[in-house]
Amino acid sequence: MIRAPWVRPLVATGTAGIFCLPLYVALVNVFKPSSEVVSEPLALPVPPTLDNLSRVLSRSDGLYWYGLMNSVTLTTLSILITTVLAAMSAHYLLRAGRWWSRAVLSVMLTGLMIPPAVIMLPITRILDSIGLMHSMAGAVLVNIGYYLPFAVFVFTGFIRTIPRELEEAAAVDGAGRFRTFWQVVFPLLRPASASVLIFLGVWVWNDFLTPLLVLGAGAGNTVTVGIFRSIGPYQQDFGAVFAFMLLATLPVLLMYLAFQKHFVRGLTGGATKG
Amino acid sequence: MGKLTRWVALGATLGVVAVAGCSVGGGAGDTGGGGAAGDVTLSLLTFETPNLTAAYWDDIIAKTSAKVPGVTIQKLVAPSAEQRNEYARQLDSTGALPDIMSAINPVGLAEPGKLAEFSKDELAEWADPTANSFDGKIYQLPTNSQTWNVYYRKASFEKAGITQPPATWDDMLAAVGKLKAAGIAPFVMGGGAPDGLGPRWTFSTLVANEVYAKEPKWLEKLAAGQTDFKDPLFVEAATKMKTLASKDNIENLSATYAQAQDAFLAGKGAMYPMGSWFPAAPDKAQQEEIGVFPMPTQDGSLVSPTYTGGGLSVSAKAKDVAKAKKWAIEFSKQNADGGAKFDGLFVALKGYQPPAGLPKLYDSTLDIYTKAQSGGKVTPAFGNEAGTPSLPSGFMAAVDAALTDLLNGRSDVNAFVDTLNKKFKELSK
Amino acid sequence: MSGSSRAWARTGNFDAKEVTPAHRPGSAPTSVRPPRLRRALSWSSVGGFGVFALPTLAAFTAMVLAPILWTLYIGMTDERATRKQTSFVGLDNYWYLLNDEGFRHSLWNTVVITVIVVVLTNIGGLGIALLLRKQGWFNSLLRSVFFTPVILSAVVVSVIGRSILADKGLLNNVLVSIGVDNPPGWLTDPSYAIYSVSVIMVWQLLGFAVVVYLAGLAGIPVELEEAASLDGAGPWQQFRAITWPMLAPALTINTVMLMISSFKVYDQIAVLTNGGPGTDGTATIAFDVVRTAFTQQRPGIASAMAGIMLAVVAAASVTTLKLLQRREMDA
Repeated sequence: MIRAPWVRPLVATGTAGIFCLPLYVALVNVFKPSSEVVSEPLALPVPPTLDNLSRVLSRSDGLYWYGLMNSVTLTTLSILITTVLAAMSAHYLLRAGRWWSRAVLSVMLTGLMIPPAVIMLPITRILDSIGLMHSMAGAVLVNIGYYLPFAVFVFTGFIRTIPRELEEAAAVDGAGRFRTFWQVVFPLLRPASASVLIFLGVWVWNDFLTPLLVLGAGAGNTVTVGIFRSIGPYQQDFGAVFAFMLLATLPVLLMYLAFQKHFVRGLTGGATKG
Repeated sequence: MGKLTRWVALGATLGVVAVAGCSVGGGAGDTGGGGAAGDVTLSLLTFETPNLTAAYWDDIIAKTSAKVPGVTIQKLVAPSAEQRNEYARQLDSTGALPDIMSAINPVGLAEPGKLAEFSKDELAEWADPTANSFDGKIYQLPTNSQTWNVYYRKASFEKAGITQPPATWDDMLAAVGKLKAAGIAPFVMGGGAPDGLGPRWTFSTLVANEVYAKEPKWLEKLAAGQTDFKDPLFVEAATKMKTLASKDNIENLSATYAQAQDAFLAGKGAMYPMGSWFPAAPDKAQQEEIGVFPMPTQDGSLVSPTYTGGGLSVSAKAKDVAKAKKWAIEFSKQNADGGAKFDGLFVALKGYQPPAGLPKLYDSTLDIYTKAQSGGKVTPAFGNEAGTPSLPSGFMAAVDAALTDLLNGRSDVNAFVDTLNKKFKELSK
Repeated sequence: MSGSSRAWARTGNFDAKEVTPAHRPGSAPTSVRPPRLRRALSWSSVGGFGVFALPTLAAFTAMVLAPILWTLYIGMTDERATRKQTSFVGLDNYWYLLNDEGFRHSLWNTVVITVIVVVLTNIGGLGIALLLRKQGWFNSLLRSVFFTPVILSAVVVSVIGRSILADKGLLNNVLVSIGVDNPPGWLTDPSYAIYSVSVIMVWQLLGFAVVVYLAGLAGIPVELEEAASLDGAGPWQQFRAITWPMLAPALTINTVMLMISSFKVYDQIAVLTNGGPGTDGTATIAFDVVRTAFTQQRPGIASAMAGIMLAVVAAASVTTLKLLQRREMDA
């Protein structure tokens, strides 16, 4: 496109640099005392201070720690259960081949575009009626129901490429339905499972509205809601807010850095035509 | 199978650990009480401000629980002080109305019976037990009186050649003119999201002066449909508001509450219309630099917009309503001094004397209130009316937004009152 | 494995027989299959259904289907939290909302945000993807940089955005220091607020579009472009004739995903402006629904809003998807 070979990397780097500025600001100000954050937001932290971080970690209400525990619990349970259920039902519905199973799949896929705000109120009432409101189990259930369409969508796409012959081979070898699925099919779904787990993991961890309304007040809430709650009293204490955000994002960041390939692969699967 | 199994195993372990940790962690915020068997756990909704810190709340909670055995308090904190009413209603909508709530406007919760009623006996120690009533019933302890006045920098007035605080409306306008001529921003008034209510409080002094003082039953008439915001009295208040506080007269209209307070204390801007909780903020040196006067009326008579209420309320569905009420009453007594000292509250308990050593501005502000009680007019405060009749839930948020438009120049007085009428009708449906 | 990992997510065009069953060496040859054994794998029995499909369907029904229906029902009542009695009012709420200025404003805000986000993110994403097209560690690194905001929570991005765009925030401090006298209130001035919110969202979602376009570009056979340039086509003509049409699937994915994300935006509004400035300055439909239901405690009106929102989202998604997929087929 451009003649000189160095123009592209230069422009790319420049764009990335400008793009990066907000991230730089958020990172750099974690290690500066609060007064400097306001007066010199762009300056490098020299010398760096761990004061903000330690203040967040030692809050008397333990907002960060309880948030972390709850986020880990909610995320792990939601994504594991959703992945397994989605794999099983996608496989079942595809293989059953009846007219109604296709209809069910279509209905589930429409669930992909439902905005959560539309259904939050009835969800809280349904949870209340089965006594799961303000409980981790309730929040997990909401996540499962909401993210199943996406997971099923991913799995159906993948399962279509697995030839039936493999399952039938297992049947010849005497495997029952259950074993066939777990020992033959599921291992082949590894890339799909990985993608689903990763996407769901990020989405559930970063989710705000559902934990806010379902888990409610008190210490039972996630670390993302904790960020929102920590902005209030700390309006002037930007260092602490940025520190809280960094600590809250760390788990997801680490997971992202470790599994970048899967992220990208999962996204790009459908973008190619050939 | 390897990698995925390892993943699953890792996740499951994490999950088990987290669940275990969670059962320990779920009770964070426990303060006071020993958690002994037989204790009832009650949730308490609090909010934090620069004055009311987390440590302050923990301290008072511990003191109260020491006097009311058998109660363990689970402290909840609203996202911000000004969102606390919204937050309480959000919790209520999800079926989680806290057992005890501090300074939550009971309008909208009292009528459908969500709050516990306080009996005459329980209110025996209150100076004004009929304040803040809903058809004669009390749902929120009428513990605190708060008023609204104009705080000002003495140095700025001197510089502009204003020898004494304005006594009449024309004096006020003249003062604004002099300040502008001297290059000083006349007002500091934070109207920025999410908690800048400066315009609303300024406006409430004008509504008190122009509407409530002249027609004490105005709110009843509004609720009964006999008048609306196009009432000439109200229009006059709005007009005065626009004249006084249009954007050019204000230093940074979009500052948040905390930013505005800091700006005024740092010397930016001459006047700071604010509630009587402000005196707790300035330090000793600043106390000397600041004075206070009531928002002038047209003719100079004394009017004090006042809110009496603001205490604790108890949910009708609390696990032990009697104990919760007992705790709430005890809290109010324990917090009296703290309320006066840290939140500038005028405590409405019988025979209560504010402790010594309170800031100078507290005394001056209380002085104005006492004078109004004996020789002037004490009126409700627009937007902080206590009990019925009152404005529908959610209405004040619309008023705040409309006020910002008015001061920004985005709308005029007619559009302003029209918007208020519309929103009032909508939210009363 | 790489062939099948792309194949599995292809939308539509698939054929199981095309993929060679090369995964399990040692499995029995597929030709010797007595027909009657197929019945041994009958999936439609109740037991199979109960274990494999029922939990999923139960969760989905309870947490998605039933709530949708219930929302539509509540939308036809006049339920309010301050009143104990509720009565059925049919389509009154819908009629009221369609004529209500506040709601129409929320609708408009949502449209503005959606259009800006979809258009700008696509353009920006494509541009950056074209820049980063070559393979290599450096471009991979830059790609990661752009993608990072995508994995951040909307709350985090909004807090960062607020600290930069607040009236006394980073941007204005810089502007003041270089001599700009009265920098605008990016989040507090009604003429700017909605655009500021949109820009913050574009910033967060840009990396997503970049990655999708990069994948799309990678799938274009180099020979086609080389052939074109040999025929004398300049870079712009190459792009128009070959690259752009072959990016159709990527455009589809980006547009649909961005559209859905914009329609349901809530977190950013709650953190950045809480619906302000002024009257419904940046309130979007989702924000309005949640606020009306939970804070103003008017479930009847809120559910009617939700019903309208559902209809709009469904119509827009289906239409856009159909249009774009038809274009894909034609390409």
